[in-house]
Amino acid sequence: MARVDLQITRRQFLATGLAGTALVGTGMGPGRSNLAMRYPDPPWFASGEVVTTYNYCDMCPWRCGIAVQSVNGQVIKIDGNSPDPKSRGKLCGRGQAGVSFMNDPDRLQSPMIRTGERGEGKFREVTWEEALDYTAEKILAIKDQYGPESLAIFGHTSGDFWFTDYFAQAWGTPNAAKPSSSLCLSPRDEASTLTFGFPVGGHEPLDWDEMECITLIGSHIGEDSRNTVMQDFVEARSRGAQVIVVDPRFSAAAAKADYWLPIKPGTDTALLLAWANVLITEDRFDRDYLDRWATGLDELTAHVQEFTPEWAAGITDLSADQIRTTARVMSDRLPRAVIMPGRHVTWYGNDTQRMRAEFLVNSLLGAYGRHGGMYFNKSPFLEPYPHPPFAVHGSSGGCSAEPGEESAELPLGPTGKARADGARETFLRGPTAMQELIDPMITDDPYRIAGLIVYGVNLLNSIPMPNRTIEALKKLDFVLAVDVLPQEHVAWADVVFPEATYLERYDELSTVAYKTPFIQLREPAVPPMYDTMPGWMMARELGLRVGLDPFFKWETIEEYLNTRLRSVGSNLEKMHDAGGVIIQEGKPYLEDFEADDETPFHTPSGKIELSVAELAEAGLDPIPVYEPTEEPPDGYYRLLYGRAPVHTFAKTQNTPDLSAVYPENELWINEDEATALGYSNGDRVWLENEVGDRTGPISIKATQRIRKDAIFMAHGFGQHAEGLTNANGKGASDTKLMSRYKLDPISGGAGLRVNFVRLVEGG
Amino acid sequence: MASAFLLDMTRCIGCEACVLACKAGNQLPVNTQYIELIEHTSGTFPDLVGGFQNHRCYHCADAACVAVCPTGALFKEDGLTRLNPDACSGCGYCVQACPYGVPKMQNGRSTKCDACASNVSGGGSPWCVTTCPAQALEYGDRDEIIAKANSRVAELKDRYPKVQVYGETQAGGLGLIVVLPDDPAMFDIPTDPQPVPVSVDIWKGVVQPVSMGLTAVAAVGAGVLGVIARRNHLAELKELEAREKAGVPAGGSESTEEEQ
Repeated sequence: MARVDLQITRRQFLATGLAGTALVGTGMGPGRSNLAMRYPDPPWFASGEVVTTYNYCDMCPWRCGIAVQSVNGQVIKIDGNSPDPKSRGKLCGRGQAGVSFMNDPDRLQSPMIRTGERGEGKFREVTWEEALDYTAEKILAIKDQYGPESLAIFGHTSGDFWFTDYFAQAWGTPNAAKPSSSLCLSPRDEASTLTFGFPVGGHEPLDWDEMECITLIGSHIGEDSRNTVMQDFVEARSRGAQVIVVDPRFSAAAAKADYWLPIKPGTDTALLLAWANVLITEDRFDRDYLDRWATGLDELTAHVQEFTPEWAAGITDLSADQIRTTARVMSDRLPRAVIMPGRHVTWYGNDTQRMRAEFLVNSLLGAYGRHGGMYFNKSPFLEPYPHPPFAVHGSSGGCSAEPGEESAELPLGPTGKARADGARETFLRGPTAMQELIDPMITDDPYRIAGLIVYGVNLLNSIPMPNRTIEALKKLDFVLAVDVLPQEHVAWADVVFPEATYLERYDELSTVAYKTPFIQLREPAVPPMYDTMPGWMMARELGLRVGLDPFFKWETIEEYLNTRLRSVGSNLEKMHDAGGVIIQEGKPYLEDFEADDETPFHTPSGKIELSVAELAEAGLDPIPVYEPTEEPPDGYYRLLYGRAPVHTFAKTQNTPDLSAVYPENELWINEDEATALGYSNGDRVWLENEVGDRTGPISIKATQRIRKDAIFMAHGFGQHAEGLTNANGKGASDTKLMSRYKLDPISGGAGLRVNFVRLVEGG
Repeated sequence: MASAFLLDMTRCIGCEACVLACKAGNQLPVNTQYIELIEHTSGTFPDLVGGFQNHRCYHCADAACVAVCPTGALFKEDGLTRLNPDACSGCGYCVQACPYGVPKMQNGRSTKCDACASNVSGGGSPWCVTTCPAQALEYGDRDEIIAKANSRVAELKDRYPKVQVYGETQAGGLGLIVVLPDDPAMFDIPTDPQPVPVSVDIWKGVVQPVSMGLTAVAAVGAGVLGVIARRNHLAELKELEAREKAGVPAGGSESTEEEQ
């Protein structure tokens, strides 16, 4: 079996990795002048040569291109990379804190093997050789006993490609999953694929530059800190675009809205159907567009007749007048008017149908492929590294997945087993549903899942029913955790691989489906700190130890990357010199397809399918209907959650600079409700769900900015991990209150807003 | 030539990128920040108006902090209020005097935005301006910034009937020109910032020149004097902080104020 001397590889990294990176200064002049007398210490950029490396940010999944500035071997400042179409020289607060994330003293520093019981968090530090050999031995044993399908691989964040995609497919497990699918955007991408024949894609293709009306349904622009979207939204609005915000909460975006619709949670589909009713019955839709590009208009017309604004008003807590007015505001601006496809859309378990309803309204507005509406995104051309055929076709999806068509057949593993997540039985289609793989770990049904590799997923703070996840962790034969930080679940691992952060490693190229498709480079600014290792190297070293040598023929990551870049006439040096990004031509508008006599819609009919036959055949509604959502019992509130602008998921709460700015979440509760309960601003309370799970304490934020039937908090807090100095025990955890979820029968998404909680004293 | 920031609060969406860019670019200690986003909401559900105050140094022309600073650590340059922390004695008078409550004491020294003096003098922009995704921040010649703010206000009247330029005249003219979507009171900003209190004027006019003179004469002894003065100042500061804690924190009855 081929082996690589890790020490040599790491030295080579130091020698060739950094030297091979052409070093370029920022062009910024030395910062001292007449101020020298009054500012005795030179600023960092005047204290040595400033070296710029290019990267894509890993502080959230949005992947902004960044320029990383280092002086004297220290990374100091990260800026948005100007030529990068996503960042355009700008960067959000989390991206600015990348250096703080890298320098977090709580980082995992050495490979470890468990010595205590699972969950105790007792480990001994070992060499990489021992950690890798031990892991290889364990997963080979699982493969021998149960087959390769019995190893599940969960991955998140931008290095997940190496484990969740590349290693998983080479190894032969269809049970590779990403939380960004079934815990986030599966419903919208399945709805989009059913309606248009393509998923939305990681970067929502809104044609902001010419947009005249934007509608947000539960999208929290600003609070979710998506750099590009903030830029585009603010610019469009300042240009005069009308803004309609549908949200139970007066969000940062709602505060910028021309129309705020404080909808009753769970009733969005009723609003959407009423909007469709107004557009159709008042003949305010783009009939020519639909005649040319859509099927099912007659069915849709008949379908929406009964869904009047008056009907929806009684359901949504909005007035019929509000509903009618906002529909007219949109239609007055069509096709330069769109409802933004949300991102985290796993809300109530009927989410694919809600997203379908959104897309039907967008279709009535004639938005797709039109200037100021939705453009057609395109993936950049870039050949894969040549490798033997994979043992199994990938189906983990995720927000980094490229637009493509789902194969009709579920991929089968080498021993003939399909995914264990119940796909095609409990839900119709879509990528692997992570939360549906937990039960099989406990029940062995449909077959035993005996091992788990967790790459960067905060297991106990992202998957609902964390008590069930712990039960599964207890039963598994083997658990490998790959992470930068000692997150809560790491205490449950048998082996821990400490990863180098994105600032310390080369990585797979990032390919972005966009109006102008582009490729982003990740090159290290500094060598890995401590005894950490890049994910690609771990995957390769493990691969070489389990017989996957043919997939890892490349000796160095530079060789891998240069081979891929050759297909676009570039290489690492050229790409660096070009500013870390390669931009290609897109095909964004309908006229581009008409000129080629093609259709952009890859549905069975080649058109927008307003009514979907596949759904009817499966016994589901071919056109969405409104299904009531369960109401909170007396004394309970619906648990809503979202983002604080300086935090991402359950990942950044420990980052020193970010923790300093927003150390713990707050409980948004309507001021009148808080008063009635005897609470005021700043009071500390605990939260309890219907089955008695508790989390807290959390500070009350008594505010007029939320409805009386719901509470809201930022996700990702309330973690319990002793190794996380800043995050441990801070605030309350929404995940720990999710004792249930509602499975979306179409996409496999986990509807998470179906939990009800009350305020209690003490934990 | 005076320089100034433009802060367009109709664009700010509260993402706090400026806060973190400032911390990173200026290499601030983890517990220090020069910018705070403060949420303001008025009204009753569902009839609400809201926005953010991007709370930071306003760079007053008649800067109360500069007037009271006994050591010259705070000084005016290019229309902006700079701070040389190494010259700060830690007296805390600037904290007391600032009508906006901006300077903070950290580790016995005053700390506040100095408009990225070092970076700007090297040809760059303040870090917050460079990164702002909403492009709510700009930096440049003060006259041009004021002209731009006025033309923005003219464009924004339809959407924001009360929109106004703030900072053209306040405190002798600010180095932070704000496009405010509503009345200053809505953001807890003084319409007419309080002039420097008389007691401070006396202190500045009489006591400071005397002590400065002594310092100049006794070049070696200055260190000793400095230590004594500093000890006194720290004691006063403690008292000040205690008073502040006991008192009612800033915040109007019509608006709720919460740190993000």
